[in-house]
Amino acid sequence: MTLRLIKDVMNISARLCQPLITQKLAFHNTPSVAAWEPNKTESGPTRWLENNKKIYPPQEPGEEPRPAFVCHQRENIKYSPKKMWYIACLVRGMSVDEAIKQLKFVTKKGAKDVREVIEEAKALAVQEHNVEFASNLWVAESFSGKGMVIKGLRRHARGRRGLIRYSYCHYFVRLEEGKPPKKYYASAPKEPHEMLEDWMTHMRRRKVFNSI
Amino acid sequence: MALRTALANASSRLLNEHISGVVRAPLLNAQFVRHRKTKHWLPKWKQLRRLKVIPVKLPELGKKPSDLTEEEMRSRMKEQGLVPPRPWMEHQHFISSSGDIFEPYVPPEGDGKVSPISAQGAKQNLVFLEKKSRTMLAVRKIRQYDEDFDGPEFCKSATDIYIKMHECMAANDKETLINYITERAYPEVVHNIDNKTLRWKYLKDIELPRIVHARNTEVITPDNVFAQVTVRFHTQQTLAIYDRFGRLMHGSEILAKDVLEYVVFEKHLSNQYGLWRVHAKIIPTWLPPKDNTKLTYRKVFETVVDPNVVPHDDATDKTAEKTPN
Repeated sequence: MTLRLIKDVMNISARLCQPLITQKLAFHNTPSVAAWEPNKTESGPTRWLENNKKIYPPQEPGEEPRPAFVCHQRENIKYSPKKMWYIACLVRGMSVDEAIKQLKFVTKKGAKDVREVIEEAKALAVQEHNVEFASNLWVAESFSGKGMVIKGLRRHARGRRGLIRYSYCHYFVRLEEGKPPKKYYASAPKEPHEMLEDWMTHMRRRKVFNSI
Repeated sequence: MALRTALANASSRLLNEHISGVVRAPLLNAQFVRHRKTKHWLPKWKQLRRLKVIPVKLPELGKKPSDLTEEEMRSRMKEQGLVPPRPWMEHQHFISSSGDIFEPYVPPEGDGKVSPISAQGAKQNLVFLEKKSRTMLAVRKIRQYDEDFDGPEFCKSATDIYIKMHECMAANDKETLINYITERAYPEVVHNIDNKTLRWKYLKDIELPRIVHARNTEVITPDNVFAQVTVRFHTQQTLAIYDRFGRLMHGSEILAKDVLEYVVFEKHLSNQYGLWRVHAKIIPTWLPPKDNTKLTYRKVFETVVDPNVVPHDDATDKTAEKTPN
């Protein structure tokens, strides 16, 4: 009976041209190296590291040297991208050493990953991107991205169910050579003398109607 | 939850003590802990709450394969039903070029700086003539396969190959490069030109290039002949190397430098379509060491551990102490 059933299944599968049952134990068409190679379809972003491959044209002798930068990332961290955002924001515009020091005191799970990524990027800058002093770098960009989300279920009362989202995230960082800027965001609050200047220019530019 | 009950007990105890008049000082060191209110306070429901969640096996995506231990890898492969990979004992081998320089040319000391009229220069020329016989034999062997082979003519084409090779390097054209260099030289040439811009210019010959050395060898069968010819180039060139950001790393575009090089060219004579290609450069032993890089770098100090010194808290010491008792 069972044999017949299997035969029927095989027949159907042959007709559909897609084998429903495949022999797995004796036949390996996947290279066994794939056992420890990460699955390409699951791996995350690819574009961020492309920035590291761009080669800029040579500069003239008198020109100001272009600051070196290095992009680095870590994919598929088991952490929420939303929670990671807070940590990513914290280190923006800091010098590398300051960022690493601050991250040591952040009691969040993602802080460990962020610190490791920044440390890796710092080492990479010296090894591969012709940066002379590792400490002469600052965090120019730092952000998190959404990775894979695996959905789990949770029982609720009255036969209902709840969805649990097991989210993964990516963390991206770009370190740039030089001293960090005084203000990272353009919208940072202005100094009193700047405010005064703004007010003065505003006052002088105003139009007094019906005047000369 | 356990913490919460413990805290509740402690606080009630403290309250009792307070009432009884034991503790009068304010609790300065007390830390206030916020608890979420969505869970039942009684720990007996904890188990049931846990059972509500249907367990999902999450992939460990952040874990690199290189971090896994051998045992972890084995169990993981067993899970997936994979056979361990065969240890591949093979590696690439090119038969269109030899893997080494046979009987490499030894350049005379101070070549390019010593005048041929001086005593040392005259001596060098004499030594060169003495050693010429084997070179002549090798050239004769080359002529058996390549009838048109002629010294000055060859030097002209060698210069051409030399220039084209450097131009391909500067243009980062790895596809064309293999037409001008052998497979042995390829990794040496390509190494360290990634992410860089080269500006190379060949200005002029200071001396005409000349063949200083020629050798041939048979590999496996007597018909399979490789020939190697060493050509001495004394030229003027400019070289500037820029990093990925266009900043000058080495050299200059306007500073011409005299370059003396012994370049080994190789040809697979038995191959009808064989080409003369750059095989290696001979670096003389008398060459003074090059200056260090201008970049600051961190010097790694190796900690020297003396094996004779036994640390104080060693396990053997403890046992030695215990034995008399």
